[in-house]
Amino acid sequence: MRVDVVLRYVGVVMLFFAFFMLLSAGISYVSGMDSAFYPLLLSALLTALLGAFPLIFVGKCDQITNKEGFCIVVGAWLVACVVSMFPYLIWGGEFSLVNAWFESVSGLTTTGATILNDVEALPRGLLFWRMASTWIGGMGVVMFALVVLPSIGRSRMMLSNVELSTMAKDNYRYRSQIVVRILLVVYIGLTAVSTVLLKLAGMNWFDALCHAMSACATSGFSTKNVSVAYFNSPAIDTILIFTMITAGIHFGLIYATVTGKRNNIFRSEVTRWYLGMLLAGGVLIAISLYAADIYPTLATSFRHAMFQFATLVSTTGFATADSNTWTSFAIILLIFGSLVCACAGSTAGGIKVNRLVLAAKMLRARLQQQQHPNAVIRIRLDGMIQESEVLYSVMVFIVTYLMLVLAGTIFGTMLGIDLTTSFTGSVASIGNVGPGFGEVGSMDNFSALPAAFKVSNTLLMLLGRLEIFGLIQIFFMKWWK
Amino acid sequence: MTGMRKRVTVGFLSIVCLLFFSGMVSFLELSHLSRDTGEILKANRRNIELAKEMLDAAHEQNIALIHRSVFGDRSYDSLCRACMERLENTLLVAQNEALEKSFLDSLAFATTELRLLTDNYLAFGSGDILSPAVGQPVDSLGRVWYGGQYEKVYSQLTSAIKSYMTSTQSSLAPRAEQMKKNAYRAVTPVLISLAVMIAIVLMLYYFMSIYCVKPIERMNRELGNFLTYRTPFVVKGDLKDEVLELKEKIELLVKQSRQTKA
Repeated sequence: MRVDVVLRYVGVVMLFFAFFMLLSAGISYVSGMDSAFYPLLLSALLTALLGAFPLIFVGKCDQITNKEGFCIVVGAWLVACVVSMFPYLIWGGEFSLVNAWFESVSGLTTTGATILNDVEALPRGLLFWRMASTWIGGMGVVMFALVVLPSIGRSRMMLSNVELSTMAKDNYRYRSQIVVRILLVVYIGLTAVSTVLLKLAGMNWFDALCHAMSACATSGFSTKNVSVAYFNSPAIDTILIFTMITAGIHFGLIYATVTGKRNNIFRSEVTRWYLGMLLAGGVLIAISLYAADIYPTLATSFRHAMFQFATLVSTTGFATADSNTWTSFAIILLIFGSLVCACAGSTAGGIKVNRLVLAAKMLRARLQQQQHPNAVIRIRLDGMIQESEVLYSVMVFIVTYLMLVLAGTIFGTMLGIDLTTSFTGSVASIGNVGPGFGEVGSMDNFSALPAAFKVSNTLLMLLGRLEIFGLIQIFFMKWWK
Repeated sequence: MTGMRKRVTVGFLSIVCLLFFSGMVSFLELSHLSRDTGEILKANRRNIELAKEMLDAAHEQNIALIHRSVFGDRSYDSLCRACMERLENTLLVAQNEALEKSFLDSLAFATTELRLLTDNYLAFGSGDILSPAVGQPVDSLGRVWYGGQYEKVYSQLTSAIKSYMTSTQSSLAPRAEQMKKNAYRAVTPVLISLAVMIAIVLMLYYFMSIYCVKPIERMNRELGNFLTYRTPFVVKGDLKDEVLELKEKIELLVKQSRQTKA
């Protein structure tokens, strides 16, 4: 493996980050040169130097091996997490080393969990950097750099193949290079539309842009301490529900729907399951809340229930209410939503509806097989017969995912954290959801939890974002032939 | 500048730039820290000066009022008024200079109360204020007024002045917290720059090793083999700039040497 080539491409991604830091410094300058200006400027300089240095020595390289591609993607994610905490660390405030690392990883992996007790105390430049990092992370740090930066050439295809999971690449009828462009067009388009709609609904431009970036990345970072509840506006809630649900659908299908192609969201089995689950969950939670007299009207119950369920299923993590105070039935449905999450090929994390639908079909096939031992049963998804290798990898993924949740929960309880916080915190971290229940509820944060739990959760976030095996693979590089 | 030299120069210039900028930011933050410390010390000193001035004025007025009310000496009237003026002027200065004006509210209130009480006494005497009891000498009324009314207001004023004097200490905690933050900000950029610099130096070492040191070692070995065993001079790997030129020139020399021998 050529380490110099890996360093070069990680450097290219770092340059991309430096640009966004500089942009945030610009926002800071426009906002009266607030206290984040120097930290952002210095961080941009450090990141740019770190990124440009390998480019001085290593020339352009068109051919990248699969192994190098993996190293570039995982390396870029890890280095991005490190450099993105520079502005937080230099700025100070509530950001200790562990807190800055947590905020950085949470932002880039689009988890949206925070350690900040007072988000509103952050200067605008730093608030924008939080949103920018999460927005880059939503698309995928390498993917974003690949599309925007020229002179990557044929290696773009190799890297996009590594960063996009096999499931995410389904539904595309194009070459990798075009797929990456489609992703970017949908992503930027959705952010722009959402920003304008939020502005029309009463937010100021800055808040509208920040919330749109956060919703499209399915992150859940907000500029307010009480998240979206601060605005208390049904219009804003509705727009964000639309944005979050859309960001949880396969981007290729959104593009196909907008451009009038045949293979659109209405024909996708997975999307139908996803939307059906959202509607059913929202209605059931609303009825539960109304019956328990938590909200005075059914309409208000439905508004909050739909928002909270959509925000957890899409792995965003905004809040309009304190779901800790909801009924046990509502809470268990929300936890189920946090485990399943949205569709593959979106910015969401988690197990994903695709895998759950396949798992359910495998269960049905297993029962049929027991009834008719000689029958040849094929499992189809969207009309396509699924290979046994795909089904096997789905089961391995789900089992590993749940084992990691269990490991995170055990570790949390070992540190003296209560079971609810420990379990839902781990579920929220590995699924890149953000809020859980207990001490990490929708109106709380991770600040009071032990540093070790914060660090273990950042590991879960990274594992979840890199679809588990991407990160694990890097530790077995030596034996990879 | 040639290729290799250019790369190395740019590499070192990057490190110098990094050092310079992190140094500048630290310097800036340390200047803030120094300025904040200076301001706190200056405000503290000035506070004590003004409080001392007010306490002196109040004390002198107290002495003058004892002479006036207990001993009935009217020559102290003017001194009483002058001290009151001095007290009020100093309060005005303190109000103009204070960053946190809330500490001065109780002091201003106590001063106004004292002003009203003494003005009233100096204008009308204690006879109009207190009704003498049967058989009680009028002179003793002054003593009763002093003990019953003035002393209370005077002690209120002095305690207000003392609390003003310690106000800087009370406002010190948030300022100290700010200073702590500034100190943190002064140190963190240097630490981060140091970490980045270590990363850059390691990369520089690695690149120098794979693009310069290792190819030269290989060429040296191959050249040695050629001279000793007459094996062909073949250097594999990705060579750049002057190292590539060197390899080509050695290959040419080797070729010429073989032709000469032939």
